[in-house]
Amino acid sequence: MPTIIACFKWVVDEAYIRKGSSGDLVFSTVDFKISEYDRNAVEEAVRLKEAHGGKVVALTVGPPGATKGVKDALSRGCDEAIFVADTSFENLEPSQTAEILAAVIRSRVPDFDLIICGEGSGDLYAQQVGARLAEHLAIPCISFVQKLGVAGVSLTAERKVERYTEITSALLPSLVTVLPEINVPRIPGVKDTLTASRKPAATVRKEELPPVGEPRLQTIGIAAARMDRTCEKFGADEAELARFADALRKKGVIR
Amino acid sequence: MNFKLTEEQELIRKNMREFASKHVDPIAAEIDENSRHPAELFQKLAEGDWMGMPIPAEYGGAGADYLTHIVAVEELSRSCASTGFTVSIHVGIASMLILLFGNEDQKKKYLIPLAKGQNLGAFVLTEPGAGTDVMAATSTAVLDGNDYVINGTKTFTSNGPTGGTYLVFAWTDKAAGRKGMSAFIVPREAPGMRVGEHFKKMGLRSSQTSEMIFKDCRIPRENILGQAGAGMAMAMAGFDHGRVGIAAQSVGILQAALDESIRYSKERVQFGAPIARQQAISWMIANMATDLAAARWLTYHAAWLKDQKQPFSKEASMAKLFAAEAAMRHTVKAVQIQGGYGYIKGAKVERLLRDAKITEIYEGTSEAQRMVISGNVLR
Repeated sequence: MPTIIACFKWVVDEAYIRKGSSGDLVFSTVDFKISEYDRNAVEEAVRLKEAHGGKVVALTVGPPGATKGVKDALSRGCDEAIFVADTSFENLEPSQTAEILAAVIRSRVPDFDLIICGEGSGDLYAQQVGARLAEHLAIPCISFVQKLGVAGVSLTAERKVERYTEITSALLPSLVTVLPEINVPRIPGVKDTLTASRKPAATVRKEELPPVGEPRLQTIGIAAARMDRTCEKFGADEAELARFADALRKKGVIR
Repeated sequence: MNFKLTEEQELIRKNMREFASKHVDPIAAEIDENSRHPAELFQKLAEGDWMGMPIPAEYGGAGADYLTHIVAVEELSRSCASTGFTVSIHVGIASMLILLFGNEDQKKKYLIPLAKGQNLGAFVLTEPGAGTDVMAATSTAVLDGNDYVINGTKTFTSNGPTGGTYLVFAWTDKAAGRKGMSAFIVPREAPGMRVGEHFKKMGLRSSQTSEMIFKDCRIPRENILGQAGAGMAMAMAGFDHGRVGIAAQSVGILQAALDESIRYSKERVQFGAPIARQQAISWMIANMATDLAAARWLTYHAAWLKDQKQPFSKEASMAKLFAAEAAMRHTVKAVQIQGGYGYIKGAKVERLLRDAKITEIYEGTSEAQRMVISGNVLR
């Protein structure tokens, strides 16, 4: 009866980010969501539980406003949740997040069998948290997983690497980071959502954790990507075609 | 005052949006074109507990409040007004009336399968000669031993061809006037009930509508809903709930019209710039967004009153009247913004315009809503 931890990040839903008049990004009206690949992580954990029994603990670190994310994860079939909340956790770096997750897992879920993370988060996509967390906990980390099976004390994972797939196995406890190919996350039913808040959800405060290292990155500004387009018209006669070819050469499109 | 949905309501809205984008958007144009009832879609809606949202869990529902159901109907209608409406009338009128007025046996036998989405409910009141003037109905139900025998012809019955459980209204004592009508639960297999052909409609085409013919239709005496003679009051209660649903459907149509108008006017270039930069267009969109906000809050307020167990009849009529007329007004504009492209079959705005019209007609015309509202404010 394995205990599976599904880690997720509550991120800005990019569909709501708007471009301001001066090319800046406006976040004032955004909504949030469980980061896409983390939804796959949660789904995979719940499917494994449905097949093998045991329980799924959803684990997240974020600002206190992310309670909706906790309910979202619980509505997707997780049995309980641990929410590490602090106002200063809005823009954690992957190294800090991994430190916090490791500390919480050591103190709250030391008997886990498997940790599943998304390959990368929807906002930073640094692909750091999973690997760093495994390192902190001194367990194997298997990344780019598109198929996962658990049997007894070991797991088998199919990794999508470059042009081939690699079949890997590892003893539990282990950590895997999953790709979206691994499953199609369910859409929770109404009852799933309404009963989510009745499931146990523990909140861990910053004060209960060992001190977290200082951030090493500083965000100076965020701007919308700008793509400059030019439009030039050419005729169809010989001279114009030559001019057209010249223009392509100048742009480096042809040689 | 709190203008915020709960976290659960927000998540449910989001889940419905995802459901609708995945399962409804891809077929919405096709089921409209072919006037087809998508049984496979309703199976999926049932699996997600969307067919019995505000019905308590003990009767097979999800136990959500009415506002949550309304938000889901809105979001579903944003993708397909027909589907949103089918859910609305199934839940908001048919299931809701059995919940409100049925006895324990009736709830166990009929409400549970409805709330689980195992069959569709229909509200069978309108007759060829009795639309807004409900008193002009002629259908009768006569007690014969342990059976009621129903005779009459009903029309424009939504979910008629596809229904499983029908709430049929007929006179048990015509002389008693408003207190002489009764409501009956008639199962699909009842002898003597015949479902007419599915009408081909201008809009709302995948919602199935037909005549219902009752010729010595025999149902057990215990299938009367509530007290004999209370039918008219029950119909009015049904309308109150259903009208909030139609308001939500209209809000969904309006939101879709706004989505389409914003998308198109930013993409479409004329005179060297997106047409959204033309004041003529941007003002249409401003008006649309404003009426949408007003319609949505009127609708949510009516549903909220219902959840607070306060009277909401007037507010339901106001929400339905305003939202329906706004949907009609602005779907015309949405087609105008897209010009020729919006007039072509397959353009979403073309369907929205046809779907919007019915919202001013059914579950009480706009004129009937004004009667209800003026009756409330003038007394």
